[in-house]
Amino acid sequence: MAASVSSACDACSVGRAASLVQLGVRLDRWDFLVALAGNPNTGKSTVFNALTGLRQHTGNWPGKTVARAEGGYRHAGRRIKLIDLPGTYSLNAGSADEEVARDFILFGRPDVTVVVVDATRLERNLNLAIQILAITDRVVICLNLVDEAKRRGIGTDVVKLSQLLGVPVVPTVARRGDGIPELLDAIHGVAAGEVKTSPFRIDHYSPDLEAAVERLSRHLERVFPELSNSRWVALRLLAGDGSITTAVRTGEIGTLREDGAPYPGSMATAPSPVSDSSRSDELLALAEELRWTLSPEFQDSLTESSYAAAQTIVQSSTLRGLRRSGFDLDRSLDRLLTSRWLGFPVMLVILSAVFWMTIAGANIPSGAIAALLLDMGHPALKDLAAGIGMPWWVSGILIDGVYLATAWVVAVMLPPMAIFFPLFTLLEDFGYLPRVAFNLDKLFQKAGAHGKQALTMCMGFGCNAAGVVSTRVIDSPRERLIAIITNNFSLCNGRWPTQILIASIFIGALAPAHIAGLVSATAVVSVAVVGIGAMLLASWALSRTVLRGEATTFSLELPPYRPPRIIRTLYTSLIDRTVIVLWRAIVFAAPAGAVIWLLANLHVGGLSIAELMISWLDPFGLLLGLNGVILLAYVVAIPANEIVIPTVLMLTVLTLKLGGVGAGSGVMFELESPSATSDLLRAGGWTLLTGINLMLFSLLHNPCSTTLYTVYKETRSVKWTTLSAALPLAMGFTVCFLIAQIWRIATGL
Amino acid sequence: MSMVDPILALTAFTTVVVFVAILFWPRHGLASRIGRLLRITERVRMEDALKHLFDGEYTGKTCSVESVAGALEISRARAARLVNQLEAMELMHSDGRGLPLTKAGREYALRLLRTHRLWERYLADRTNVKPADWHEQAERQEHTLAPAETEALAARIGHPLYDPHGDPIPTATGEMPPQSGVPLTALTPGQSGAVVHLEDEPREVFQKILDAGLVPLMRVQVIDMTPEKIRFTADGTTLELDPVAATNVTVVPLPQGEVGEGPFDNLASLKSGESATVVQIAPTCQGLHRRRLLDLGFVPGTLVTAELEGALRDPVAYRVRSTLIALRKQQAEWIHIDRSDQAVRS
Repeated sequence: MAASVSSACDACSVGRAASLVQLGVRLDRWDFLVALAGNPNTGKSTVFNALTGLRQHTGNWPGKTVARAEGGYRHAGRRIKLIDLPGTYSLNAGSADEEVARDFILFGRPDVTVVVVDATRLERNLNLAIQILAITDRVVICLNLVDEAKRRGIGTDVVKLSQLLGVPVVPTVARRGDGIPELLDAIHGVAAGEVKTSPFRIDHYSPDLEAAVERLSRHLERVFPELSNSRWVALRLLAGDGSITTAVRTGEIGTLREDGAPYPGSMATAPSPVSDSSRSDELLALAEELRWTLSPEFQDSLTESSYAAAQTIVQSSTLRGLRRSGFDLDRSLDRLLTSRWLGFPVMLVILSAVFWMTIAGANIPSGAIAALLLDMGHPALKDLAAGIGMPWWVSGILIDGVYLATAWVVAVMLPPMAIFFPLFTLLEDFGYLPRVAFNLDKLFQKAGAHGKQALTMCMGFGCNAAGVVSTRVIDSPRERLIAIITNNFSLCNGRWPTQILIASIFIGALAPAHIAGLVSATAVVSVAVVGIGAMLLASWALSRTVLRGEATTFSLELPPYRPPRIIRTLYTSLIDRTVIVLWRAIVFAAPAGAVIWLLANLHVGGLSIAELMISWLDPFGLLLGLNGVILLAYVVAIPANEIVIPTVLMLTVLTLKLGGVGAGSGVMFELESPSATSDLLRAGGWTLLTGINLMLFSLLHNPCSTTLYTVYKETRSVKWTTLSAALPLAMGFTVCFLIAQIWRIATGL
Repeated sequence: MSMVDPILALTAFTTVVVFVAILFWPRHGLASRIGRLLRITERVRMEDALKHLFDGEYTGKTCSVESVAGALEISRARAARLVNQLEAMELMHSDGRGLPLTKAGREYALRLLRTHRLWERYLADRTNVKPADWHEQAERQEHTLAPAETEALAARIGHPLYDPHGDPIPTATGEMPPQSGVPLTALTPGQSGAVVHLEDEPREVFQKILDAGLVPLMRVQVIDMTPEKIRFTADGTTLELDPVAATNVTVVPLPQGEVGEGPFDNLASLKSGESATVVQIAPTCQGLHRRRLLDLGFVPGTLVTAELEGALRDPVAYRVRSTLIALRKQQAEWIHIDRSDQAVRS
């Protein structure tokens, strides 16, 4: 019977509560702790959502950048906390994901571990299940996707399977909610101790391994009598597992009672780590000695035994003679999407469709929000401020600065992101994205990176910060860093308006009117492609210099195509994205707005600070084929790329001292038509060179502050964050500089 | 507003770039060379001398001040000073007949050796560094890693028992099993053995062994021996080595019949739609790569079908145990298969 955790137990360092706190889980207010494990692509998150509804939130495992979802539900009068472990192929602790999952099941001692397996791929999935059964008794198998299995003519004798594995097996179709009530009952039964389990365990390995395991596990049981999985611990010691070795040395391994209760008796009789260290050392010495007797490949035989056992179990419990329905849509679809001739074109079409839907679809909502917040809201607030007698400079900072910048970012950013990310998530749920990584991997391999970088790159086209977070799908730290540092070369949503505007003013204007639109669109697409090229080049350079080294353990699973849950995805994606944009606007853009207003309105020696800085930056700017206004705009717009153009326009008006244009000094604005903007810019001395270099600089400059902040959070390293800012900036300066000189030589200036 | 002359600007730019390159070029740049000079300190030389003496003890060769001078490439006078220093630190005592180490000296040397071999294992398992470079890089690291860092490294790479040359790694308490095995030249034609050690010095001979494609754990079987060369099969492929190189390859003789029948086909040779059974994962694939492939289900006896080729032909998706797994060509080459019909059908 699982003991409820009382406050005395919380304080005891031997209790489970202490290790859970270390693993980042607070146990107050919950009766049972349940962990959800399984291979990737088994529908585990669907099961998680089905159990917790919307009562969940995502965070990180402490000390690791591995995402964790936790949630809760009520059942049979108990409150249950559910932790979603990362999807893993095994628990051999070869990657951060596997380490996290293994550590939680072992040290966190959940009351029940639910293993989600895919009924169409039972043999493979059971490998993980068998490993979990070796660690803990309290397991429930959730046999998910039985509807797909039926379609493919695969049937499972659930009763037989349950007998063979020694634990409850519950068939479910999590997507439809079938089998969920039975799953809840099974979880409750095992957690409350009403259902006894006798888990399947492999009891004979190859002769020398078996001898070593027997000897070591018997010794283990002498030193730690309460240990219920001594054979598994013995195996891990023989494999040289670091955290298990430490747990044995400190004696912690002996405190891991299955039911999570503290050691019987008072704290005084619990084996204190210090006094038993000699016995632990003896144990570890024995383990070391036995390791030398085993062939170096014994770990292979472990996996082989595991798969062999899985195969036997599945063969005994599979029902034969079921009819397959329909033809294999999956295979035909795959042949199309990855074929030599059609693979790339189809990919381009799909991605272009996503971009086009984002741009076209965002137009109207953006305009509406702008009309509301800027055209109506701004003057209204100013009147209000005047009405209550607010001093001009306070209303300037707050309304012209902070409010305006925030409103701008929201109006420009929110609609495209709210369209792009749901579309992207739908593609991901459908199963198409791994095929993209599959198609493009060769390119990335040549650049020393991982195929999944193609996906983080695509994500970066929506928002670079989101792209950086999405690099978690890449296991190897080195390749992940490459993906993080080069993500900025994906032209994010916030920079598209700048690109489109400048392209239509300077490049489209060169073409005859009827194809001007097409020409500007092509120019923007070319810049995006240059970005992709820059990313590959930078990845290659990084993998030859500072990020040389750690080899890749590449592998990519191509999951079967599954119909995405459209409504649910739209809803969660929308909420997530909206929240992020609003938060970002307030945190980063608001202060920027204040700074912009101040720069333009604080005067030193007769000139505003802005004008001083512009004249100071001008020589450098001109050298690069840009100008001081642009450079200053980029400095103040580090928080958000969206406000670059409005700031540029405001600064141009300021320096040219043009009356009648704009809304006052320090107030950002945009003009109705591109031709009006064109006139203003040309009056400020802009040429075709300036336009081209601005487009390139907008692509190749430091990431916005949200992205930098995200990079820091993901890498926890000042060094890499600095590099991620310095590299694109250096490339931007160099490229603009070279183009400016060559241009000037060519045009004889 | 006067504009900088573009040609002048470009020239200035190029000059700066060239200057930076001279300073910071990897390995040959000024900064790199200066760093190397600063690193070879007195302590480093002393530790190198200690290692040389330990190696002599382990392999049974006598050492002298001359041999120390030769191994470290320094003058005899400096070598003599180093030896005196070691004696003063009670790491060795000279007894007229050689330079035997004290217990403290032996422990110190074993710690150095442990760090060296752990670092080589790390380079082999986790990085792209070329095998011929492992020794040199480990030579540097053994002097700079603190004991705590060494233990952290060992934990990180899974407390390995052997380095990539096949040599045992001393344990944290300083134990190491005695050297076993015989040189390849000691095997008779028809006899098979498992490679346990590849001598990494001199570098040119080691490179020859590597070029031949030999790695520890390979199963070899001698075909014939002449004074000029030895012919043998290694994991199915036929190789040749001259006797000098062959002496540097240590093998443990295996009982008859343990060598698998090669040569083996590998997974990369499967065309779309073809199936085969996995025989083994090449012994040359170790560490994380091997773990990952096994965890994905490529264990001996598994049926694999090549299903999809990507748009660029690499990677290829294989159906294994009802799942589609994409592998790069380099990984597929590590998986040995049997294409015969009876293997596939069973």
